Amino acid sequence: MNEQKKMKSILISNRNKTILILLGLLPIAGIFYSLFVGRYPLSFIDILSVLKSAFNPRIIQNYPDIYNTVVLQIRLPRAILGAMVGGSLAISGAAFQGLFRNPLVSSGILGVSSGASFGAALAIILYGQNYMVYFFAFGFALLAVTLSFFIGQVYRSTPTIMLVLGGVVVSSIFSALVSFAKFIADPYNKLPAITFWLMGSLANSRYRDIFVSIIPILIGVSGLIAVRWQINVLSMGDKEAKTMGVNHVLAKAITVLCAALATAGAVSVSGNIGWVGLIIPHIGRMLIGNDNRMLIPASFFLGAFFMILVDNLSRSIIGAEIPLGILTALIGGPFFIYLLKKTKGKGW
Amino acid sequence: MAFLEVKQISFEYDNQKILDDISFKMEKSQIFCLIGPNGSGKTTMLDCIMGLLSLKSGKIFLQGQDISQLNPKQIAQNIAYVPQNHKKTFPYTVKEIVLMGRAAHNGLFNSPNQHDHLIAHNAIETAGIEHLKERPYTELSGGEGQLVMIARALAQEPTLLIMDEPTTHLDFQNSLVVLESIKYLVRKKQISVLLATHHLNHAFYFENNGLDTIAAMLNQKNFAVIGRPNKILSKDNIEKVFNINCQIIDYHSGRFQNQKYIIPLETIN
Repeated sequence: MNEQKKMKSILISNRNKTILILLGLLPIAGIFYSLFVGRYPLSFIDILSVLKSAFNPRIIQNYPDIYNTVVLQIRLPRAILGAMVGGSLAISGAAFQGLFRNPLVSSGILGVSSGASFGAALAIILYGQNYMVYFFAFGFALLAVTLSFFIGQVYRSTPTIMLVLGGVVVSSIFSALVSFAKFIADPYNKLPAITFWLMGSLANSRYRDIFVSIIPILIGVSGLIAVRWQINVLSMGDKEAKTMGVNHVLAKAITVLCAALATAGAVSVSGNIGWVGLIIPHIGRMLIGNDNRMLIPASFFLGAFFMILVDNLSRSIIGAEIPLGILTALIGGPFFIYLLKKTKGKGW
Repeated sequence: MAFLEVKQISFEYDNQKILDDISFKMEKSQIFCLIGPNGSGKTTMLDCIMGLLSLKSGKIFLQGQDISQLNPKQIAQNIAYVPQNHKKTFPYTVKEIVLMGRAAHNGLFNSPNQHDHLIAHNAIETAGIEHLKERPYTELSGGEGQLVMIARALAQEPTLLIMDEPTTHLDFQNSLVVLESIKYLVRKKQISVLLATHHLNHAFYFENNGLDTIAAMLNQKNFAVIGRPNKILSKDNIEKVFNINCQIIDYHSGRFQNQKYIIPLETIN
């Protein structure tokens, strides 16, 4: 066999490349579609003219200003933020699953979500609902991961299991603290705010939320994309990774740090949204296989798209907004079972 | 200069001596069979040679270079490992698994390039598993899985291949498939192989096939004997190390004369 033919037979298949490109288009389509979904009655034509004048300021505006506000200041940032949050949760989940060699692990495994929850609850009690909530949520999310990481170092001979165990311990401590915070919170104004935060929501998303979260998310996501092939090797276990020349401590630390940054950035603006970091990577596996070179970016795109869809549902099913955490579980759970049945657990 | 030189190494775990003052040399394109009962420290010794464990004392030189001075990447470019119990997790395809061997030649933020793909493909060909390339490796039989691990090791382009019990859990045919591929690598690719096994007959197998074979029996923290299999795998030595009575038979097979085979008979109380 000549070299070119050989190469072709082992490179990533064109089918998978095409799937990845299509997946990449999904969030863009989703964001565009989101502009048309909402309570405020806007016609298709109205929205198109808003977009037209947004792209070309020279066009004279012949519609009320509120149209601009609804489309460009409310719907657009919300959809972009949804894509960022969903993508971050899913990509971190995929990375953690590979790293811990465990399909049941999700983006919250190292206590990120419960740390963020406690941080948010604490900030709401201390300062009410303002920008401090982001910083507390983000700070405590990273604190939780750091604690898990150090607990994981206590007993060095089985670091991966210890890290998971550390995550479980830290998660339950912060969950207990969240309960305590709810217990002492003012039941008339603070407790509802905490409860809503814990259920996750993208309502009230503005551009400032994007600015707050984009830096950790950008660092985390691009870091994970950079090390994605090493995650393959890490999933062979520490010993084998080391015999293949991978500095597994460094590679693991980078992966954990990047996944934690992305997750912390996401949950600090969206609140607690479960399921995305668990099921989206599996859906990715069923579509595109297990190779993290493809799976990691695919998870980001799928997560982004899924979150946009769920958020659109959350604000259009009934009069009030349904918290996202409820919908992701209600949709994600059954859908996952359906996929398992349909693919007969293939990819597993 | 010997290809691999192990100089007076000792290893302790929780203050318990596992290996005590072991020395040996290995030449290029040689097969070194590390033989010993279960729990005698074979795996520990392999781990020391791969630089996974730090020695209590002594030194290991690979082509004149002190292993303890090399980083994992430098070691992996010379020494590849075929694990005993590979724990399968995600159903990667065979080609994805083999490609991982190229991590030894790539940086942390790299993905494999065309050159890496070509070498991985050659490794797949060498291991004779081209037909399995697209299959999820979780679905393969034990013998096929072992060949995948060998291919992955070959993708590292090693000069030394370290194998830990390469034929455990394999049936007769699959065992032979693995042994034959080792034979091929030593003979055709000039790779040196250091393998741990409790199958004494493997040492004879390689020697019977005319390969440059050394066997060492590990017992109670040090080598009981080391040398050519037909010299050291004697009735008396086996009795001492394994606590069994056995018989060693000579037979002729094809063009090979004086083929040897050990038949275990009974335990000694």
